[in-house]
Amino acid sequence: MSTRIPAQWDLEVDVVAVGSGLGSITAALVAHDAGKRVAILDKAPKLGGLCGYGGGEVFVPNSRYMKAAGAPDSDDAAREYFKFLSGGFNDPELTDKLIATYREAVEYTGDKAGVKWESVVGLDDYYYPDAPGSATGRYLAVAPFNGAELGEWQTKTWASSPHFPPATHEEMYAWGGLANITKWDYEKLGQRVAEDHRTFGPGMMGYFVKAAVVDRKIEAHTETPVRALITDDDGRVVGVRAEKDGKDFFVRGTSGVIVGVGGYDHNKKLAMMHEEAHDWNSATQPYFHGDHLVMGAEIGAEVASVPPFNLAMFYGYSIPGEEHDGAPLWRSSWECGCPHAIWVNKAGERFCDESFYKDYQPRIRQWNGRTQTQDNVPPYLILDTNYRERYPLGSFMPGMEIPEELAVKADTARELAEKLGIDADQFEKTLAEFNEGAREGKDPAFGAGHFPWSNRLAGDPNYPNPNVGVVEKPPFYGIKLSPVGVGINSHGLRTNTDGQVMHVRGNPIPGLYAVGISAALLDLGNAYQSGTSNMRAITWGYIAGRHASGAS
Amino acid sequence: MAEVQHSATSTEPIESIWDFVKEIDNWAPMVTGYQQHEKENENDSVWVLKGDLGSVTRMLKFKVHVTEWAGPERVTFELEGINEMMTGKGVFAMSGSSDTGDTGAGAGAAEITRPAEPGFFGRLWASIVRFFVYKVMGRNESRPAQESRPPAEPGAACSELRFSLEITPGGPMGPMINAMVRPALVVAAEDLARDIVARVEADNGA
Repeated sequence: MSTRIPAQWDLEVDVVAVGSGLGSITAALVAHDAGKRVAILDKAPKLGGLCGYGGGEVFVPNSRYMKAAGAPDSDDAAREYFKFLSGGFNDPELTDKLIATYREAVEYTGDKAGVKWESVVGLDDYYYPDAPGSATGRYLAVAPFNGAELGEWQTKTWASSPHFPPATHEEMYAWGGLANITKWDYEKLGQRVAEDHRTFGPGMMGYFVKAAVVDRKIEAHTETPVRALITDDDGRVVGVRAEKDGKDFFVRGTSGVIVGVGGYDHNKKLAMMHEEAHDWNSATQPYFHGDHLVMGAEIGAEVASVPPFNLAMFYGYSIPGEEHDGAPLWRSSWECGCPHAIWVNKAGERFCDESFYKDYQPRIRQWNGRTQTQDNVPPYLILDTNYRERYPLGSFMPGMEIPEELAVKADTARELAEKLGIDADQFEKTLAEFNEGAREGKDPAFGAGHFPWSNRLAGDPNYPNPNVGVVEKPPFYGIKLSPVGVGINSHGLRTNTDGQVMHVRGNPIPGLYAVGISAALLDLGNAYQSGTSNMRAITWGYIAGRHASGAS
Repeated sequence: MAEVQHSATSTEPIESIWDFVKEIDNWAPMVTGYQQHEKENENDSVWVLKGDLGSVTRMLKFKVHVTEWAGPERVTFELEGINEMMTGKGVFAMSGSSDTGDTGAGAGAAEITRPAEPGFFGRLWASIVRFFVYKVMGRNESRPAQESRPPAEPGAACSELRFSLEITPGGPMGPMINAMVRPALVVAAEDLARDIVARVEADNGA
């Protein structure tokens, strides 16, 4: 594996953006606008990275968009909330820089790159109203993007995501949230799909890709994985060795190389080790293998981490026969946020607030030091016929039979427990206890439905407690769940306040930057809040792009 | 409800078309996304196709029930989705010599009428029909490969194949699903047509 400077470069620019997610592409925009020649290289066949598949929410407290929507906020409140989120596992300097810059960075993309940001009115912070500094209305999302504006890149970007509908946030909530997905306006959504008007992550990345490769004509190469970083005799990163059409493709970046290749969701070995899970699957596109960690290690870059137990790992399932990009499609299970659904462990016990993944994640990982086991792994999703009559399961609408390969079906709770191999006596007891509270819309054991965020996302507003309903109507259904990553990983390259990657000796590596998930989440700490990943990608992309260009 | 209609002329006699169409095994593997089919009896078969729904690839399973074998003039059938919420019905109608042979693209060219929202299965069956048309036009399987025929003259068509299909997508998401699969299926149909033409031309030594 060569990292030597080649006799001849195949392409010479000032800044090389590796990856085309939010971090890399923002850096590319900023560097271009600072007068630099820029090239974008991406391993995938399409531009947009992980973000092109995601929810497209950007968490920006106290933004001008928020003010325009009439939602009150303050920087002090935001600082309090980020402190709460971090759990003390953050690097305060990075957090301060993030908070000091995110508004400027996001507004830059609105003003200079034409991204049509809109405040998601009424959507609460995860921990609102309990957490200090928490608020409502801090998320931004984009207005629908017309894919036709991408020209030849229209088919080289993700037009849709299997995980998000082509609705806007406003529509989704106005139509009753995910629990009422069967009642949405599909004539309208069908028209939107037919016209290739994109929302969520695909829409957001449509704006960014257009700004980069259409408006600015930044040179971009898909299916061009970067294999190694190239350094000069002084240890400065001066370019990359990529692979294009099966051959080496050497790209020089005289001002810097910005690495934003996501995480390692599709490197099972790395994911299971770093995320501390015995099994691992991913809902992301199959292009994230931890390349940044490998290439960084080769030149002495330091890997840093935050605890993995409260990030954005979910549990879910794969429907037999469903694929995306040639790989099995894994879906995170949001069904557990709907009424008439619970999780139990092998002992037949509930163990968490199923409607709030920030609660279930650490509880699933709970280690039993006496037995050397994780007693809540695997969790089993339990549904009754009340659920099946009202809500979908993945792509199975009410009335459609669920295949046996996916779900176990039984006429009684006991039979279901026996088929699943869980403690039947305890399972019956658990259901009886849960149903007693559920009849009154309560969950005394774990408080399901406590957070407004959970109510709104997956809850059914027609219920007294949108997240709780009895599980008692046969037949019953049970699904053994597996960990499903969504690309938010605990380990990444350590960076400084300029976005530069740090060497294990403590100095920044000149010419090398990491952004997005490729940069360790030390700015957030032990936290994940929807939209923070996109926000920090834009912010560090902005910072790194300016620094590499000499503009900061 | 979505509806798709196709019509095409052929230099082949109606009996040749019938001979080919009546045997599912002749053409099944050429259908877009074909995975398998199983004939339960003379009238019933179960199909599995692999198809794209937006960014997701799924296995689509459905039943085909032939309601009328009226060869060589007509076959009518009904469809019912097994893992997709849809129903449908269709007709293959074959007629004798007509004056519609000169379509401007040579004998046997297909004339296709596309509705605005033909839907997934409409597209799928459109590709099937396209296969029939090109396959039968080029060389019937029952005819030896070495037997060549002179190019058809304008107006020389002696049979016409007409196809119609109505699809009623079930479930609340039907309109959106229709829209999601359209781009991929248009491409798939075009690919199929191109491949078939290429094969026919190769078979005829073109």
